[in-house]
Amino acid sequence: MGILFNTLLMIVVAIAIPGVINRTRALLAGRKGLPFMQHVRNVRLLLRKGTVYSTTTTALFRIAPAVYLGAAIVALLFIPIADLYPLISFEGDVICFAYTLALARVAIILAAMDTGSSFEGMGAAREALYGALIEPALMIGFATLAMFCGYTSFADIFEHEQSFNLHLTIVMFLIAYLFIKITFVESGRVPVDDPRTHLELTMIHEVMCLDYSGVDMGMIHIAGWLKTACFSMIAANAIAATCCFHWWFAVPLAILLTGISVGIVESTQARNKLVRNTTYIVTISALAALIFFVGYLLQLDINI
Amino acid sequence: MFYLYLLLALALLVAATFIAPLRHKVWVAFTAVTVAAVAVAIPSIGVLAGAGEIELIQSIDSPLGVGSLSIDALSAIFLLIIGLAGMATILYSRGYLAHYLTKKSSAHISLHYTALALLVLSMMLVVMADGSFLFLFAWELMTIASFLLILFDAERAEVLRAALAYLVMMHIGFIFLVAGFVGIDSICGNSSFDWLAVCFANGENTYIFILFLLGFGMKAGLFPMHVWLPEAHPAAPSHVSAIMSGVMIKTGVYGVMRVVSQMSVPDQIHTVGIILLAAGAVTGLWGVILAALQNDVKRLLAYSSIENIGVIFIGLGVATLAHAAGSPIVMTLALCGALMHTINHSLFKSLLFFGAGNIYSQMHTTHLDRFGGVAKHMPVTAILFLVATVAICALPPLNGFVGEFMIYLGMLNSVRDGVNTLYAAGGLLALALIGGIVVLAFTKLYSTVFLGSPRHHHVAESEEVDSLRIAAMAIPAAGIIAIGLFPQYAIRIIEPVVESLTGTNVAYIDGYISPNLSRISLTAILLIIVIALLYIVKRRAQSTRTVAKGPTWGCGFTSPNIRMQYTGESFAEGLESIATSLTQNTVEGRAVGKSEIFPTQHNYNIRHKDKIDRLLAEWWVELLRIINKRIMKLRTGKINHYILFALLFLVAIFVLSLLNLI
Repeated sequence: MGILFNTLLMIVVAIAIPGVINRTRALLAGRKGLPFMQHVRNVRLLLRKGTVYSTTTTALFRIAPAVYLGAAIVALLFIPIADLYPLISFEGDVICFAYTLALARVAIILAAMDTGSSFEGMGAAREALYGALIEPALMIGFATLAMFCGYTSFADIFEHEQSFNLHLTIVMFLIAYLFIKITFVESGRVPVDDPRTHLELTMIHEVMCLDYSGVDMGMIHIAGWLKTACFSMIAANAIAATCCFHWWFAVPLAILLTGISVGIVESTQARNKLVRNTTYIVTISALAALIFFVGYLLQLDINI
Repeated sequence: MFYLYLLLALALLVAATFIAPLRHKVWVAFTAVTVAAVAVAIPSIGVLAGAGEIELIQSIDSPLGVGSLSIDALSAIFLLIIGLAGMATILYSRGYLAHYLTKKSSAHISLHYTALALLVLSMMLVVMADGSFLFLFAWELMTIASFLLILFDAERAEVLRAALAYLVMMHIGFIFLVAGFVGIDSICGNSSFDWLAVCFANGENTYIFILFLLGFGMKAGLFPMHVWLPEAHPAAPSHVSAIMSGVMIKTGVYGVMRVVSQMSVPDQIHTVGIILLAAGAVTGLWGVILAALQNDVKRLLAYSSIENIGVIFIGLGVATLAHAAGSPIVMTLALCGALMHTINHSLFKSLLFFGAGNIYSQMHTTHLDRFGGVAKHMPVTAILFLVATVAICALPPLNGFVGEFMIYLGMLNSVRDGVNTLYAAGGLLALALIGGIVVLAFTKLYSTVFLGSPRHHHVAESEEVDSLRIAAMAIPAAGIIAIGLFPQYAIRIIEPVVESLTGTNVAYIDGYISPNLSRISLTAILLIIVIALLYIVKRRAQSTRTVAKGPTWGCGFTSPNIRMQYTGESFAEGLESIATSLTQNTVEGRAVGKSEIFPTQHNYNIRHKDKIDRLLAEWWVELLRIINKRIMKLRTGKINHYILFALLFLVAIFVLSLLNLI
């Protein structure tokens, strides 16, 4: 029961986050904004539409959205919500999670290249590079969690409410910060990528799906929500583990944490110049290494 | 005694390639390799099932020493890989060489097949020999055979150059190995691997390990000794690259494992572990970054082999460090991962090189930017290549993931338990970065070759290759899928090796690893089911809607053309801008300048050369050449001079022995 509930709540989080982002942005810009569920309506519309396939493409192009969404769904099944238990859990599932998402990335990159379009090539090349550079941040983030909590699977890492411990609290908040940063990159948000941009030359994620339409496009959108939900839930779990370890705390936290932070960043910051993105992402990886080192020192109980 | 006769019979059979009719030479070689593979596979399986060490040939008395051929668990696993890859390679070679049969002389083809069979047999000897002489003999035989194989297209100057460079580098490695064995001999009075344990007993003589690491690292392609790989592979025929890259370089890994497994003092093991981990991390990163920058299919694959050797060494390093720290779980995981990755790499790398051979035999080029859209003309090759690509990117649900998973898990456990935390974290960082850039390198390779629109008219004229080649490719592909979906059974053949290397109990290893691997297996199957379901649902949904075809969306630009497609070079441009310091770029022609608003026709060709390569063109090479020239003056061609030299030599020996110097 708990497992099913966990999965359902993850879907709720995935659907709610884009709504909160839009609301926050509207609020900050003083607009009335879109209806909360507008993105769901958009996707429902897409799912009812027909499709146009480019003549350049092969069967790979048609299978790729299924792989993209399928991998995102499986990745979602690893993530626990605070005291609930995920569907799949074993030692080292953090690695499986990261590589399942990498499979999604490979599928969409290959699909983009399959169209033979120079714009989609640009997006694919950027996605491949940024994906490569963010990987160390993800892994070192997991290593820090493993070091502090003593487990290598999400379900065990976030299994118990930890008794209050200043060191743990510091590290968990840093980890949450790290994973929010990773969320920005992985879900293609400002300052790395701007989902609302109109110029193909500067797009990353959006430009890779230029040739998708109808059901395929809908699937890609849904996969994007699921991916965002996974990362924000990890961040929320890290915070929840230090204060109030219940699903009714973690779920709104995950929604609001990502929703509001992405909303604020998108309303107040301009996106990076493309050449600066590499620096930005490497900085996140360096930050992860730093957090790991801080955690290491804290664990050694050295007074710093 | 049976095996001694078998060895002789095989030698005769290999020689028989020369008298066989042209079209049947391949089958003679295939028979030889199959017989050998089956003959060693049976005892190997016995050993892995727990029969203990089997001695095939006891003490061959040779003029220079005594050696014996025996199979223990570590040899057994390598023998299985060698046998399988050898058979697949020769099967594949038939189709690949078919159109050379009329071009090259019969002797040339015979020599090639003889060398191919000899390479497989000598690799088997290498992993079975335990005496120094026999080992070095087999090692040298392996080098010579592979040298002949690289030389297949000797008319091309660059092939000759690459083959000679390979020969020279292998012999430098050989000197290190000889020095290593001499080292053992001078300490223990006997020079087989078993005596290494005596050498290392007091935690001394680490220099012997360094000598062996240099010797074996040369073969394996450890940084900075990897420079022969990216030269030799583009020069060699594809099936030769497949077996060299898939299996032969692994004999270096085998050697290092042999040497390290003889150590017993924790302090020494710790030092060695750090060396292995550092070597692995540097090799892996260097290999993968250079791989991503290459614009030649086979060069890219060669660099990726270097990267995979790096991954294996990272696993070995972590295992060794954990062994020193007395952490059996971490050690077991990392060692299983390293061995698993060794098997996996031999499978997907063979498949990738076979695929490269397919496209080369159709389009006669390996330059990435000459392809595009090959998948439409060679669909089966494209699918098999995709399988290998996904596997090498270490993505679930295929086998590459399983090996890397275990190495990762070993490192995470190491961090968790607080043993060698910083080393493990360093390894984790390196492996994660390698894992990320591999995706870039191989999406680049796959998409520029197989996807998009054709960049050259050759593509349109290509067609699928013969079914025997496809069958040969199906062998590694089946292995990739089987290990990927059912790793909990594949691990069974690795566990005895880990037991024999480290003395950990199999039941203990299995009890920890198998449950996790069966979960991986379930996840992989779940992943496939979810994807299949989604695809079916999508097709069902589309069946009631209009599905139209049209040109690729040009973003409002009305006359996009094929040359605007992203090329391999442009795909890796972002990484290149970061990794400028690792390469030396040679540019031909001139790029379009930023201020040229209406550019005219430009010719632009860029090649990213390895910075390490430059070392080989430095002052010391020139110095060697000058010294060589001086020495060559002694070669007068007059017999009286030579007799004088011999006399001088004898006098020198006499004087030195009088002075008690030798």
